Order: sequence, then C-alpha cells, then structure tokens
Amino acid sequence: MMQGSFSSMREAMGKELARLGELHQDLLVLTADVGDSTRASYFREKYPERYFNVGIAEQHLVDFAAGLAAAGKKPVVVNFAMFLMRAWEQMRNTVARMNLDVKFFATHSGYSDSGDGSSHQSLEDIALTRVLPNFAVVVPADPIELVKALPEILAHRGPVYMRTGRDYSPPITAGLEYEFKLGKAQVLREGDDVSIVGAGVVLWDALLAAEELRKMGVGATVINVSTVKPMDEALIEYYARKTGRIVTVEEHSVIGGIGSAVSEVIVKRYPVPMRFVGASTFGRSAKSQRELLDYYGINSSSIVKAAMEVVG
Amino acid sequence: MERADAKPISLEELNKLREVAERARKNVIRMLFYDQSIHVGSSLSSIEILTTLVFKYQRMAESHLDRDWLILSKGHAAPALYAVLAEKGVIKESELWKIQSIDGVLQGHPETFIPGVDMSTGSLGQGLSFGLGVAKGIKMSGRNGRVFVIMGDGEQDEGQVWESFTQKVARELDNILVFIELNGFQLDGDVESIKPKAFLQAVWRDAGWNTLSCDGHDFASIVAAIEEAQKARAPTVIFASTLRGKGFKPIENSKYQRSSPDDARKFLINA
Repeated sequence: MMQGSFSSMREAMGKELARLGELHQDLLVLTADVGDSTRASYFREKYPERYFNVGIAEQHLVDFAAGLAAAGKKPVVVNFAMFLMRAWEQMRNTVARMNLDVKFFATHSGYSDSGDGSSHQSLEDIALTRVLPNFAVVVPADPIELVKALPEILAHRGPVYMRTGRDYSPPITAGLEYEFKLGKAQVLREGDDVSIVGAGVVLWDALLAAEELRKMGVGATVINVSTVKPMDEALIEYYARKTGRIVTVEEHSVIGGIGSAVSEVIVKRYPVPMRFVGASTFGRSAKSQRELLDYYGINSSSIVKAAMEVVG
Repeated sequence: MERADAKPISLEELNKLREVAERARKNVIRMLFYDQSIHVGSSLSSIEILTTLVFKYQRMAESHLDRDWLILSKGHAAPALYAVLAEKGVIKESELWKIQSIDGVLQGHPETFIPGVDMSTGSLGQGLSFGLGVAKGIKMSGRNGRVFVIMGDGEQDEGQVWESFTQKVARELDNILVFIELNGFQLDGDVESIKPKAFLQAVWRDAGWNTLSCDGHDFASIVAAIEEAQKARAPTVIFASTLRGKGFKPIENSKYQRSSPDDARKFLINA
C-alpha cells in the first residue's frame, strides 16, 4: 500500500480509451473542443474517423451522442466535468429517460483545474448525476483503478458517468489485487474503531489519516466506494456494524455527494454517527490542486479531527 | 415527354392523405373531451406534415438502421403524432381517449415506450442533435435509414438548435430531412414580438443546408418540397408555413392552445 508514484488521471484515461478503440469497433469518442485538454486526442490520432469534435456545444454534444447510441454505436463523451453539467438536462431528458448506452468521461473534476478557478471546478457533478435514473456513477481512485474500470464500464449497457481529475493523482490502489466491478467497493485498510469512506484522490488523505489515527490508538477502516452508484450497500452496512462510526471524505460538495449517498444507506440499514469532510462552497484559483484541498480542509488532518470527534 | 410517374402525387393519393388528416384532426380536437390540457393548437399545426411523412414516405424495416426515423422535436404536438399513428394502426384508437391518463400509454409528450415513437422529447431544441446522431450512425454503418425531424418556430429560440445545425457533420449528411413549422406563435405570444424568425432561412442556408419552403397544410406543396429535397442529396430543411390551431376555428391562428370541450363538441357536430 501507498507505493508507486504520482501520475495523471487524464493521461491514463486518454491512453486507455485509445487502446480500447481496437477492441470495440463501435466505440466513438466525442468532445466539445477539449480534445487536447482531456487527452481524448489520443483516440483522435488513432481513429480520426471515429472521433467527433462538435465544437463548443455541450448540449448538442450530449444529444448527438445519444442519437449515435440509438443507432447502435458506443459513444463516449469526453469533456470537462463542469461543462458537461451545462448539458445536465440533455443527460436527463434524452440519455437517462431513454436509458441510452452513452458513457460520460468527465475530466478536470473537483479542484483539479486548480488555476482556472471556480468556474472550471466541479463540486456538484456527483450529486447531479447520481440523481438520474438509469445512471451509474464511477469515481476511480487513481489511474490504476481507472484502467481496471474502463473495460467494465464500456461493457455495461446504459449510461455511466465517470469522474476523473486532471494531473494530481496519488497511487492509492498500487499493489492491490482486485477485480473492478460496478457496485463493488474495496477495503483499502482494516481497523475496528471508525470507517473512512470516500472515492477519488482524497483516499490518499484517508490513508494518511488512518496512519495518524493508528499512532493515536484508533483503528480505521478505509473504504473506496469508486462506484458511488450503485453503492455497495452490503459492504457499507458490514463496516457500519463493525466500526460503529463513519467519516466520509470527498472532493465534492458535502450536500448530495458521496457523504449523502453513504448516509442514505446507513439510515436505511444500520444508523451510526457520521461526519462529513468535503466542500461547502465554490473553489478559487491556486497553483495546485493539493493547495486547494488543504485550503478547504479536505485533507488528512480534517479527517483525523472528524474521526476523533466521532470516536469521542 | 413527361413520364407517367413524374407527378409526385396522384389525385387519388392526395384524397387519401386528406381523409387521414381530417380524421386525425378531428381526433385531436376530440381528445379535448378527455383531457383539457393537451396542446391542440400546436398539434393542428403539424397534422398534414405528419400525415405525409407517416403515410407516404416513412419506410419500415426490420433493422432500425434501414428504416426511417420520425422525431417530433416539438414534443408538445404529441396528440397529432398519436392521432396519425392511430390512423396507421400503430396505436389503438381507444388509447387516444386515455391520453395523459395514469392507466394509458399515451403520455403528454412522446416517450419511446409508445409504439411508433422514435425519441422521447418534450424539452425543446434536442430533436435535431439526436436526429443528426442517428443519421450519422446509420451512415457510418453503411445503411439506408433516413431521419425526419419536426421542429417549431418558437423552438428555434433554443441555443442548442444553433449548436446542432452548424456542426460540420450535419452538412455531410443526405439522410436527414428537417421541417420547421412557421405558425408564428410561441407559448407566451407571437414569435415576431418575442424573437423574430425572418432571418432563419438565410442563416440555415448560409450554414450549408439546402433550404426549401412549403405550405404546411397543403399536401401537394409538402410532397413537392420533399421530392425536391430527395433530389438534392443534401441535408435539407423545409420551412413550412402553418397555422396554429389550423381547422379549429375557436383557436385558429392564435396563441391559444386549447378551447373548452363544449367548443370542441359544437365544432365537431358542425364539421
């Protein structure tokens, strides 16, 4: 655990998509003029005839992809998370309503577009997509998990929203052997006193926090819910019973995101005290994503604090 | 010498289309007895175009890539689509009287679980994007299906329409035919005072589309335009002049979508 080096989510996504283009002849990649920034361009280089830049037109992007899916193709829409939300209504009224096989690979989520500031940072996309009927929502922890997840996501029939960051990506699942399955969570570390549940790059801070807590005599389980929807309810319930307390952590608004999704499971199956670490307002510009995570208190010290509060 | 089949439509065929459209028109008005919230005005604007497409041009096939798709982007005209599909036998006529009922099939706006409906619509401005996707998907598969899209003039307000017809791909497709109905009204009033559309045809033409015009209530005119579109082998948009509420005097050519069941009854007795 916690070996390997930091890498880039968008790089991994772009390369893997280009690789998978060979296996899936019907796979099409579509974007709204952010092919280079998202690395969808790697697919364009290999399969120009199966790549569409529709221009800076996200609403059209989503419905054009929906039409291609209706005609039996396998479209993957690649765009910044924030600007896909501009077409949320198209995702709802065309894709979700007709349950079409369109995949959404959203890069630059959370604070990962650190320099561009709040207009480009997406802290609402998990809430907005998980509320859509028929949609699955996936937040890979790191490039290794992303590569595991992609074939499974493409094999799934129906809309999937996959959220990735830009370049900051700590090695969270390096060295772990497991098969990625939609709806399956992974335990990254076991402990008896508190469960820390999250997804994406913040799991790195969860693991650092667990190490801190160990030194303080508190055992923490760290759970990776990379499939935010459908949520692995059985596993969450098991650890709620086992540890009796839950802290959730996310690079997203604490309203409607992963914390909310976990609490929906908990109140239904086995209520335990919870704390929520995440964003509560818009972001701002900074020199790095790491700076922003620390600035907004989405880091290991906040997780330790929340865990100690709930352990009491 | 003129070939015998040179006339796009025979008198016999014309009369048949007229009969179908007249029955569909009356059935839309009759639906007012069962639900007073349907969009009658917008529906009556679309009857002849829908009848022409469904009864004369739409080809059916086993494969969804070889048949013709019909997308009612102005989804609020759903009653017209249902009435025409009922004439075709795709929808049971008895279902028409259960429109918008919890135990009926027919929804207020089209849904793909309704027989004969190719796209779930109801939110304006999305039908053309989807239609272009289908048309491109068909072409990429080397198949023969075509896509018909029907939009309203008010619908042209949506930015997504601009996003879709300006895409380069759109200009390369010859299997898409778009109707834009110009009935001059949108929900809150007349188009001219809200967002004038006089420039539309020029804009579409300059964007690379083959643009044609027709009288959207005259079958010979609609057919002539479609025939010309087919010859053009280019993405075509037909601007169809129509009247909102056409043929139903209490609301004809007005912003009103509906009238009372009493008005409808009186009208149908006299019609």
